[in-house]
Formats: sequence, structure tokens, C-alpha cells
Amino acid sequence: MSDELKLIAAAKAGSADAFADLVRAYRVRLLRFLLTRSPSYADAEDVLQDTLIAAFRYLHSYDPRWRFSTWLYRIAIRNAAKSRGPDLVEIGDLRDEENDPLQQCIADSETDNLWLNARQLLNDDVFAAMWLRYAEDMSISDISKSLDRSASWTKVNLMRGRRVLETHLNGAAQQSEAYG
Amino acid sequence: MDKLARQLHDDAQRIDVSVSDELDRRIEASLRAVTPEFEESYPAPVARPPLFGWASTITGVAAAVALIAIVNWRAPAEPVPPPVNIVAAIPSIELKAETAVLTGPLQQELDRLQSDLKKAEEKVKQDIGL
Repeated sequence: MSDELKLIAAAKAGSADAFADLVRAYRVRLLRFLLTRSPSYADAEDVLQDTLIAAFRYLHSYDPRWRFSTWLYRIAIRNAAKSRGPDLVEIGDLRDEENDPLQQCIADSETDNLWLNARQLLNDDVFAAMWLRYAEDMSISDISKSLDRSASWTKVNLMRGRRVLETHLNGAAQQSEAYG
Repeated sequence: MDKLARQLHDDAQRIDVSVSDELDRRIEASLRAVTPEFEESYPAPVARPPLFGWASTITGVAAAVALIAIVNWRAPAEPVPPPVNIVAAIPSIELKAETAVLTGPLQQELDRLQSDLKKAEEKVKQDIGL
């Protein structure tokens, strides 16, 4: 039995310490992802806390056939959507350039970070699919489960997302050549 | 991994994020305050007596035998009445009747009407003095 499964078993038995150990490795990754879906750093932290509490509370419903990270991301995505309220506005609408938590976490020298462009160019679900694929190296199947979408939706939108970003990159390259 | 995938992966890692000690403490404190829900436990099935299986098997076989016997059971043959000749019982209609037989009543009715007409005609003549 792997360490993760042992910790899951102990956490299922009610051990908060085991659960804290279990999710320790995921906290930074989750927070980084939640920053892309929250209007402020504090909101992202709150959603992370709510996500971990919900995961611990409902750990009995975790199906070991899923990867634990997939299950965790699914809860995080739902909590992030819930924290934005029932109107389900796109995160782009909430963003305030000065207080953008993602912008704040990217060094000034790295303003060409592709995720900043991705967030402007892609809708929330496509952005999340791209993130889970390229930042988290998740499989298509796991992304589908996390987003509660079909595998074909995931494949098509990953392809669209890539095309949009490639077009953007090519356009930016041509522009810099023109000015260069 | 292609160039775009590599760039996306590296750019994600360049997002500088850390879980502060304050958040860490907050999370751990809230986890300790949570009581995880457990799956509903169902009562364990009560062990059956050892002969229960045999008893139910014998009951099943007996029921099957009884059912087969009932289905195949036949009452003693009762005397069967001779078959009725349906063709003979139903009165046949004489389709080849003479035309006069069929039109007779109509002819009689016609005669009566003509007779009444004649009488009425004579009465009218008497009334007008012809």
C-alpha cells in the first residue's frame, strides 16, 4: 500500500494529522491554481481552506479509483465557482489590474508569462483544462473528471486553447519583428 | 513535450506562491475542528443456523414437485356427449323460393290500395252528382 493510501485510510478513520500530511504536498499547487480563479489572494486562500475542509469532511466519498489530486481539484473548482456567487461571472470580469493576485505573484521581469495571456484569451473552463494539462500534467481522463466534462469536450477545448495561444504567440512574435 | 507545453509548464512554476504560516495554522486548526462524516454503517447480517440452507433447499424442491404435480394432474374423463350436428340444427332458408312467393304480400297490399282508390273515386263522383 502506498504512503498516500495509508494516509487516506488513516484520515478516513478520523485522523486530522494524517489528512494534513496527505494534503501538504497539494496546498501550494492548489493555491497557485486558485489564484487564477479568484479575485484576490485572500479569496484564493479562503477557497483553499474551504476545499481542504470539505475534502476531509467528505473523505469517505472518495473513490480510490480516482487519483487523489483529481478529486481534490474537482472540489477546489466547485468551491472557487461557489465563492464567486450564483451569477457565475467569468473571472476576467472580476479582475482588477492593480490587485490581480496572479499578476502580483509573477515577477515584474516576467510580464510575458503565458498564463496571464491565457486568462485573458480563454474562458474559465478552457483555462482550467489547459492548466490541469500543462501545469499539473493531468491526463485527459483526469481533467474530464475534475471539470465534470466529457473526454471529447476536454480534447477539443485543449486543442482550441492551444490554437488560441499559438496564434497569440505568433502575432506577438510578428509584432516584435516589425518593431525590431 | 512541445515548445508551447514546455512554456506553459515553466510559466506555471514561475508563479511564486507560498502558503503562509498563518494560513497553515488556520487550515490545521479548522481541520481539527471538523468531524469527518462516515459512511452509514449497516447492521451486520445475522449468521444463519447451519441447517438453514438444507431446509430451504428441501422446501424449494418440495414446492417445485408439488407445482409440477398440480400442473400435470388430470381429472377422470367424463362421458363426452355426442357431437351436435350444427348444420342440421340451424333452420335453412329456402333461397330458391318462387318470385310470386316473395312478391305476394306486396301485390296484395297494392291490390288493397287500388281498391281503396277506386272506392274513393266513386264516392267523389256520387258527391258531385255525376
